[in-house]
Amino acid sequence: MINESYKVTEEAELVKASLNGNNDAFGEIVNRYQKMVARTVKGMLGDSVFSEDIGQEVFINLYHSLSEFRGEAKLSTYIQKIAVNLTLNEIKRRKRFFSLFSQKANNEMYEYEIADHETEDRNEASEIVNKALLSLDPKFRIILTMRMLQGYSTKETAEMLNLPLGTVLSRLSRAQEQLKSILKKL
Amino acid sequence: MNISEIKKLIISSMDADTDTVEVSGKLEEEGVSYNFSNNFADKVRNRLLSAGLTMNREVNFVKYMNFAFYRIALTGVAAIVILLISIFLMEGSISFNSFLGLRDNYDESIVCLLTGN
Repeated sequence: MINESYKVTEEAELVKASLNGNNDAFGEIVNRYQKMVARTVKGMLGDSVFSEDIGQEVFINLYHSLSEFRGEAKLSTYIQKIAVNLTLNEIKRRKRFFSLFSQKANNEMYEYEIADHETEDRNEASEIVNKALLSLDPKFRIILTMRMLQGYSTKETAEMLNLPLGTVLSRLSRAQEQLKSILKKL
Repeated sequence: MNISEIKKLIISSMDADTDTVEVSGKLEEEGVSYNFSNNFADKVRNRLLSAGLTMNREVNFVKYMNFAFYRIALTGVAAIVILLISIFLMEGSISFNSFLGLRDNYDESIVCLLTGN
């Protein structure tokens, strides 16, 4: 269980305490940011045990790179960047895996992700959101996840994904077109 | 909110000037939320602990290897020193020939020894 005294503690103190080997402090960081990480990971990969593994990887990576965190950016931004990188790497890994066995790697990968997601019980709104997300090309999906689920502005999305603002803007309009045709079918 | 309104909301989130915080808030109100399992923090902690144990094992292995290397190296150096001393005591000098165990052999006799002629 997490120590109650850490509930109101500042990020910097939590980081410092974690670096000093305080497990409760790191547990508090996990508790504070797991929902944010879940939105990115599950939005991008679908709702499954694999997503939870990636979520755990995010915090394990954070734990090992915590000494490199200078506090110049928010801890949430730092964690979000780890989550984005690990999720995109997982998508690349899946794409490589599917391309080994099939010429239609992309389509089969999306079908797999949607089928994987369908094992969970969800309400109608969640179904639509998840099917829309998983049917999108990953480069558009990450932008939709950042905006629709995390509530990031265009500028914040560009910073998070290390993309020029112009690229994000052009992807927004292309993703919107793709979304419209996907949602028509749902 | 009906399905078509949710679809409109999703599409509007890709407009550059949309208030995305409002969109994500509305979707959350509609039950679009993401969470890991209840004991997620404990799972992370367990994985960190097991990774720590593995890392400790690796560190110990490297430590033991270094220790073994120094012991073997020191033993080897000691053996060489003893060999040189014993050669010096037996031969009276530490020449290259005495080190190789060659005494009064000439080059010709070595050639005979190797070729058999």
